[in-house]
Amino acid sequence: MTLQVLAFALAALLMLGGAAVVALTKDLMRLVVGLGVFLLGVAGLFLYYGHAFLATAQVFVYVGGVLVLVVFAVMVVHRASGGRPIVASRHDIGAAAVAFGVSGMLVMSLRGSVGGWLPAPGASGASIAEELLGGHLVAFESLGVLLLVALVAVLVIIGSGERR
Amino acid sequence: MTVLVLCAVVFGIGMYTVLTRREIVAILAGVELMLGSANVLFIALASFSGADAGVAGAIGLVILVIAAAEAAVGLSLVVTISRRSKRSSIDELTEVNG
Repeated sequence: MTLQVLAFALAALLMLGGAAVVALTKDLMRLVVGLGVFLLGVAGLFLYYGHAFLATAQVFVYVGGVLVLVVFAVMVVHRASGGRPIVASRHDIGAAAVAFGVSGMLVMSLRGSVGGWLPAPGASGASIAEELLGGHLVAFESLGVLLLVALVAVLVIIGSGERR
Repeated sequence: MTVLVLCAVVFGIGMYTVLTRREIVAILAGVELMLGSANVLFIALASFSGADAGVAGAIGLVILVIAAAEAAVGLSLVVTISRRSKRSSIDELTEVNG
């Protein structure tokens, strides 16, 4: 029990710390590192809830893929500026009120749906594959089509930018 | 309850990032915070409600892939906008032409 609470606390700390860095830092590269820490925290919580396959996919797809993509985007966008790229922001009490008001509404509306500390046993990779290739085959194939469309869209967007 | 508060707070931080940042890459990072916290909350709620773990994992994977596709398209837009106009702040992007 204690070990589980510690694991949860560590993952939660990674999530909160990473998110705080993303929201507050002025340095764009620190923001990217904060996003990476947040994504590792998310993977930790997936692991805590017994979804080891989902945690592995999260680390591979996000920390290994999307984060590298973000770093490339930062390098391309800010290559001419020189020095460390700075993130402009307009901190506003109204924006904070709206954002955390939505948080409060989420907590109020879902507070009856969550239990204590100990989660139910999670899903193995085999059971997820069974669902995806069995009853949810259409969703799985649609996902493949979506990824293909996203890939083609990226090529079209980047290609149209190069022609001009 | 703890996971609900955690995810709600992180979702709020993501929304605050989207509302206050002026850099497009930072706004995309805020969207990723919101999507990540929603996915964790979905998995946690499925765990507490006793839903089929395989179905929950499959849907979680679908959300993860959709978020990754969204990030790829968003970042390609950022790179294209930067190449065309040499700008990366949303305050400078006031034209929505095709």
